[in-house]
Amino acid sequence: MTPTALRRSYVESTPRERIAALADPGSFREILDPFARCSSPYLAEQGVVAQRDDGVVVGRALLGGRDVAAVAVDGRFLGGSIGEIGGAKIARVLERARDGAFLLLDTGGIRLQEANLGLLAIAEICDAIVALRERAPVVAVVAGRVGCYGGMSVAAALCSQIIMSPVGRFGLNGPEVVEQEAGIEELDARDRPAIWQATGGVRRVEQGHADVLVEDDLDELARALRDAFRASPNRERLSLERLRNRFAQEAPR
Amino acid sequence: MQRIVVERSGGVPVTKRAHVGAVASGNLEVLCEPPAEARATIVVSTSVDGFEPVWRATLERFLERYPIAAAIEINDFGATPAMVSLRLEQALELAR
Amino acid sequence: MVEMLALEGRWNSRAADKAGRLASIAFARNGKILDAGHIVEVLERLIRPGDRVCVEGDNQKQADFLSRSLAAVDPERVHDVHLVLSVLGRPEHIDLFERGIARKVDFSFSGPQSLRLAQLVEDGRVEIGAIHTYLELFGRYFVDLTPNVALVAADSADAAGNLYTGANTEETPTVVEATAFRNGIVIAQVNEITGVLPRVDIPGSWVDAVVVADRPYAIEPLFTRDPAEIDDVAILMAMLAIRGVYEPHRVRRLNHGIGFDTAAIELILPTFGESLGLRGEICTHWALNPHPTLIPAIESGWVESIHCFGGELGMERYIAARSDVFFTGPDGSLRSNRALAQTAGLYATDLFIGSTLQLDRDANSSTATRGRIAGFGGAPNMGSDPHGRRHASAAWLALARGEDGIARGRKIVVQLVETFRASGVPTFVERLDAADMVGKAGFAIAPVMIYGDDVTHVVTEEGVAYLYRAANVDDRRAALAAIAGVTPVGMERRQERTTALRAAGVVAFPEDLGVRRGDARRSLLAATSMADLVRWSDGLYDPPARFRSW
Repeated sequence: MTPTALRRSYVESTPRERIAALADPGSFREILDPFARCSSPYLAEQGVVAQRDDGVVVGRALLGGRDVAAVAVDGRFLGGSIGEIGGAKIARVLERARDGAFLLLDTGGIRLQEANLGLLAIAEICDAIVALRERAPVVAVVAGRVGCYGGMSVAAALCSQIIMSPVGRFGLNGPEVVEQEAGIEELDARDRPAIWQATGGVRRVEQGHADVLVEDDLDELARALRDAFRASPNRERLSLERLRNRFAQEAPR
Repeated sequence: MQRIVVERSGGVPVTKRAHVGAVASGNLEVLCEPPAEARATIVVSTSVDGFEPVWRATLERFLERYPIAAAIEINDFGATPAMVSLRLEQALELAR
Repeated sequence: MVEMLALEGRWNSRAADKAGRLASIAFARNGKILDAGHIVEVLERLIRPGDRVCVEGDNQKQADFLSRSLAAVDPERVHDVHLVLSVLGRPEHIDLFERGIARKVDFSFSGPQSLRLAQLVEDGRVEIGAIHTYLELFGRYFVDLTPNVALVAADSADAAGNLYTGANTEETPTVVEATAFRNGIVIAQVNEITGVLPRVDIPGSWVDAVVVADRPYAIEPLFTRDPAEIDDVAILMAMLAIRGVYEPHRVRRLNHGIGFDTAAIELILPTFGESLGLRGEICTHWALNPHPTLIPAIESGWVESIHCFGGELGMERYIAARSDVFFTGPDGSLRSNRALAQTAGLYATDLFIGSTLQLDRDANSSTATRGRIAGFGGAPNMGSDPHGRRHASAAWLALARGEDGIARGRKIVVQLVETFRASGVPTFVERLDAADMVGKAGFAIAPVMIYGDDVTHVVTEEGVAYLYRAANVDDRRAALAAIAGVTPVGMERRQERTTALRAAGVVAFPEDLGVRRGDARRSLLAATSMADLVRWSDGLYDPPARFRSW
């Protein structure tokens, strides 16, 4: 038995490898690659070395023949945080997308070093997702080591569909933030099973907060992504009406 | 944060661009490009101060072992010399 | 009968003393069962000032209920205790000295307490007899360091005092044997008392009393390495170790230290090793803790046997289901024994490979650095050539020396190190910090982990130095310098010298061994995550919570 020989791991792949493996072979065209040297101008003055793509890979790709926007956040760089440049890359590519978009989200949310600029960027991203999903699918994949937290969890929740793996985690506040704000009685950020039980892929799909659960396998993910694009592009999610309905169903009488 | 530049003239130019690694703890990003003139230039930005002699020795040994001409940029987050050498070799493999 | 003999006086004073001490705790003893509520009072009555006391502190399990209770005794009543134990690893072990209960210690390892121990030494509050190898300390238990009182830990006991120690038997048989058969007193803390034990690891007649602890004994998963944290450099070094040492010397019987680089070796056996056709040729018999990272190699048919020093949390069901490989009892659970596994590691294995914090130009190795007194654990026994060895093996004979028909082989001792540690500190140094400790802190000699003359190979990311092939000290130093990177030692390397040493086979670079640096990638790992290890084990491995990402 060779469990790993049988699969190609999403977790083990770099953001560019992930897009290349999920899109139609050879179809990905990156916009503003590292050699464009569009990195954050704010980090150096705070003593932080910048990554040349600002931790965000964007471009156009074909997905089952559709011309879509491809986005991958690099969880390795500053926890996959979204700053002004990386956020603008995502927002612009979504605004120009033709037949939909897929976002590979491995992000802790707003980049603290860029504070409000990251916040504004995420607002733009949310705006672009809502506009695009009216006419084409916008699919989020949350299957990396960091998960998807903070402002970007709102962006993910606005997508037409969310695909997760058991490794992925999805929530508004990261475990450390919950522990800090609500106390260790509420959540011990080192209690990994508790974290995955609350925010992990298996749980999120059970709850209906995410739609599809797949293993940590690029081939399985590629299939799930194509299936998601075939599903209704206008699936309603995170609308006020839906939340009211849920509340009516779940609230104790 | 510290900036270190190492240069050496001559050498065989690399033909392609290559990008490897990431600015993550213990890791580094390497950008390698064909040079404008026949020399190797390595520009390092590192988050850890005080290791300039180690950087210079590491990069000079790399250029001794591989006498190339290239414009190389390194963005480092506390990688060991072993990791630096390995990433440079990975980049070179893609760029030659 | 025993009492009669005791009355005879000068030849039986120890037995009389023991009887007297036991009588003093009769109030808290019901048969072999001690009332946990009286444990502090019991220890105050049992232990006399100046006694040698072993509070079982092993590499893995800890008699922490008893050590916490000992730290709570009145220092007016119990003081100047001479602590003898393998691992001085619990905070309350240090408290014993700070409170004036203990005065002297003989031990092997102090990992988690290395900083506080150094502080105690600085403050003159502890006298260190010696930092031993495990076998050396165990040996002295039977010569001049026999405990008067041993406070040990077991999983469970029955009413007769029989003990079940399960996977983590570790030091218990050695400590109890030394104490019990020299009229010392043995108290065991247990997690529970049951009617029928799964098996008897320690006979009840060797045990004077058992006490149910307030919580199960403390134990940490020390040998679990998450494959997610193995980097490309570790994989490169693993490839060099296999191609440069294991393959040419046909190393079948071995021990691995703990570390991500040795974990990388374990994880590339089923991939890289398999591609070299080495299955069955190397790495078949191990003296090793149950490393989860060895699961893929076991499942791929690489491993014939593993004898363990102790257990590893989460590996219980896997081991029970693989009794062809592990040493298990009729109940299915692992039986470990540090004294015997160390003996196996010293005499019956052909190779030890492990990491260290500092190596000097003569390959002397130490983990004692300024401000820390950590000790060495298992490395010094396994990382030494047993000069008395007689049996031959291909690997042992590969390093044969001697002439006129009287040749003998040699243990392969490998130090596997990156030239710099993660903090940017060089591993290769001109002088060990340990060398500056002589004369201080009661060290008669420098706390060296592995002596340079025992080190046969050093593997770094730069290549392999075959020190045993060096013709003289100069060549040895030059070989080490050739693979020491840009450390102070490595900066002394000279091109022509290195070329000559490569030609003579004293130094090998990756290209000499057919290893392409670019191939050193995580995709070579048979498992890249804890979840992969669980899959390889068919769900039998159950990683502790802190290692789970699901």
